[in-house]
Amino acid sequence: MKNCRIGVYICMCGTNIAKIVDVESVSKFVSELPNVTLVRTYKYMCSNPGQEMIVQDIKENQLNRIVVAACSPNMHERTFRGALRSAGLNQYLFEMANIREQCSWVHDDTKEATEKAMAMILAAIRKVELHEPLESMSVDMSPNVLVIGGGIAGMTAALELADAGHSVHLVEKNAQLGGNIARVDLTAPYLYSARDLLTERLTRIRDNKHIKVYYGSKVINLSGYIGNFTAAIQKQNGKTGTNHDPVEIHIGNVIVCTGYKEFDASRITHYGYGKLPNVITSFELEKMIRAGRIETKEGKVPQYVAIIHCVGSRSQEFHTYCSRVCCMTALKYAHEIKSANPKCYISDVYIDMHAFGKGHEDFYLRSSEAKTLFLMYEKNDRPVIHRAGPKDDCEMLIEVNEKLSGELIEIPADLVVLMVGMEARPDSAEVAHLVNISQDKDGWFIESHPKLEPVATTTDGIFIAGTCVAPKDIPDTVAQARAAAARIMAKISKGKIEVDAVYSEVNEDICSGCRFCNKLCPYSAIEFNEKEGHSHIISALCKACGVCVAACPSAAIKGRHFTDAQVLSEIDGLTQTIQYVEP
Amino acid sequence: MKEQKPKLKLAVYWAAACGGCCVSVLDVHEKLFDVVAAADLVFWPIALDFKYKDVEDMPDGHIDVTLFNGAVRNSENEYMARLLRKKTKILVAYGSCAHLGGIPGLANFFTGEEIFKRVYEESESTINPEKIRPQHEYEVPEGTLEIPVFFNDVRPLDRVVDVDYYLPGCPPQTERLLEVFLAIVTGAELPPKGSVVGAGTKAQCDECIRKKTENKLIKKFYRPWEINDDGESCFMEQGVLCMGPATRSGCGYRCIKGNAPCRGCYGPTADVIDPGTKMMSAIASIIDAKDPDELEKIISDVVDPAGTFYRFSLPSAIIRRKLL
Repeated sequence: MKNCRIGVYICMCGTNIAKIVDVESVSKFVSELPNVTLVRTYKYMCSNPGQEMIVQDIKENQLNRIVVAACSPNMHERTFRGALRSAGLNQYLFEMANIREQCSWVHDDTKEATEKAMAMILAAIRKVELHEPLESMSVDMSPNVLVIGGGIAGMTAALELADAGHSVHLVEKNAQLGGNIARVDLTAPYLYSARDLLTERLTRIRDNKHIKVYYGSKVINLSGYIGNFTAAIQKQNGKTGTNHDPVEIHIGNVIVCTGYKEFDASRITHYGYGKLPNVITSFELEKMIRAGRIETKEGKVPQYVAIIHCVGSRSQEFHTYCSRVCCMTALKYAHEIKSANPKCYISDVYIDMHAFGKGHEDFYLRSSEAKTLFLMYEKNDRPVIHRAGPKDDCEMLIEVNEKLSGELIEIPADLVVLMVGMEARPDSAEVAHLVNISQDKDGWFIESHPKLEPVATTTDGIFIAGTCVAPKDIPDTVAQARAAAARIMAKISKGKIEVDAVYSEVNEDICSGCRFCNKLCPYSAIEFNEKEGHSHIISALCKACGVCVAACPSAAIKGRHFTDAQVLSEIDGLTQTIQYVEP
Repeated sequence: MKEQKPKLKLAVYWAAACGGCCVSVLDVHEKLFDVVAAADLVFWPIALDFKYKDVEDMPDGHIDVTLFNGAVRNSENEYMARLLRKKTKILVAYGSCAHLGGIPGLANFFTGEEIFKRVYEESESTINPEKIRPQHEYEVPEGTLEIPVFFNDVRPLDRVVDVDYYLPGCPPQTERLLEVFLAIVTGAELPPKGSVVGAGTKAQCDECIRKKTENKLIKKFYRPWEINDDGESCFMEQGVLCMGPATRSGCGYRCIKGNAPCRGCYGPTADVIDPGTKMMSAIASIIDAKDPDELEKIISDVVDPAGTFYRFSLPSAIIRRKLL
């Protein structure tokens, strides 16, 4: 490449890199390479002085390509691209060599690590030589939002957006809003009424002219991309069996809040759920509490109630994860049952008491003081429920290998409450496919980053909130719903959306219309132009993963910023033989 | 009398080739009269009795156009490639072998020694108990006899000399040759040096009228005789490997018209760096399996992958031969 003036910056990352990689030798090696105008080493390239150094050097030395050898581009590529921008250089004339995660952190031999760092920097130089300045595009952002699911998450998100004046389409599968919270009496640990939480929101939604609720409806199709989605909403056939015409709406963003389904307790056969009449699930107990009477099938007030934790959760057989809300809900039941019948004996049979949330430990303490009997069982040694004999003063007997005492304890029960965990809804795969997001092994929707992007997904413009992401309690659900709404409002307020300049594109002069790529795109960014006989990539949807580039048999698809020539040149640099001689 | 335009001087040469390319030139049939009206054939070993010496005696740049077919397999091929380059204004790599290495290029999966051992000692039709091998030089009372040196590598023409144009095909379609020839004769503007001429820019699928859908996923590969070809659907969608999607159009998808999948002789489209890998990568993308064992099983149905994907292009690939 002619007229390349490359600046190479080697970061020591404190001692993270420098303690294994001989940074000075690397610097000397790099300074002798063709096209390299200057090389610097620095303690923290990502610091303000580090970035400022790049900006100054670009201006003073007319650098037109920059390589930073430091940490992962996931960490600081944006940072350094920013430095290029502030110096007036196109941000894509930059390449990072990851000599920390991929080098110093995984090697303990200075010779090997230094040679590898040299090769990686050489590869980055070879690639950046072929980089081209790229310009990002911007597309219009529709301010309308589609919220799928009318539980507490969906309602909260809808209100948040509508209160800011944005038009919201709220689609609920059932005939009324509220989701699982509508099935609950009080909430742990402060014993607020769930009904009160809902009523206030329901009224506000009803009165808000910006929210249109589609009851008994499903989103049957979603196409387009961030800022410009089109959705088809269809009212589901009730008893009439008639087909309703779908309504088409235009939206810029989507929040998926489809919630969870409770674990089917009959799958654990030896708890006898469905066979023993007085073995019930937590939701069935809620129903009784809401109706104001806790009683056995026979209509008697139970003398002994046993609550069994982790039904379907924390088990290799069913779900390995913790459902997060059941422990506190179980304590809440102990409290509610005790209030209704102070003479009732309550046994709480648990694996571990997960009381991690705000106010939870206090609640646990209060429950223990209320004379609940706590019995701990081993994960893989579930309690066994028997029908009691005629001489016993109870309906059932539960055998528990009590872990703390190490004894086999038999406890009486007239009513057994199974704390059923949460699981992904049976239609979650359908929803994931509809909005083009991924699911984990348990069926929960995957966030784009588990820590830093908890409500975004890998599809721009699609957000997830609440228990469709993973089990969580109401405060976390509400926080996520508000977070998703806030993320969207930030995007709406810009009016336009920047699309990364790194995407794949089809050279229509070469594409023969073989259609190899059509179905491979994980982001549904490829469409086929039947009339012209060639494929087309919607750049706003493309994430530059490169699947179609690899699949194109005639090289009609090019991955911008990752062209064959650039990648081969990079490989060429990486495979050069480099000898490190200890100074 | 009208002043005659000076005639073009045309040469045709064959190096490591089967002769098919020369026949494709002969296939101009009665159009030969148009050709000779516009051009003098100054060198064409298959048809005319010129000697190498006649070429050596020509001034440099004497020949206007040379159609060089065949790959470079031995020292004679190499000598003639260099000689003709010097004597020719427009050197055309004619046909798959000169273009990419062609079928003879598949010999790059072996060394020269392995080939000689097979041919002169082991082949079923050979009886050679003294294991006599060809010698480059041989002393006879009259002096020293020489035959060309057999190289380890087969090379396409452009790995030996500078090439002006490529006219692909095994063999090239005669109609395409005539088009190119007439373009040169009529003084039409020629494409930039290094271009592929006499072929399309898109792959075969652009012309092929078989029905193509987005359903390209493959669960099992079949050889053509294993399916009941409906004559209408894309071969790939019937599980039959067709090189058409990775191969330049220009032949009029003749093999496919004859209900045989494309073999790839027209070579890759313009931006492909390594034709075989490109097609392998494409095929790998559409295999419908996630389980490694199932994948292995599906792939094992591809008979002779190297010969399938690199049938015409091995010597021009990134990894162009067996490691020596």
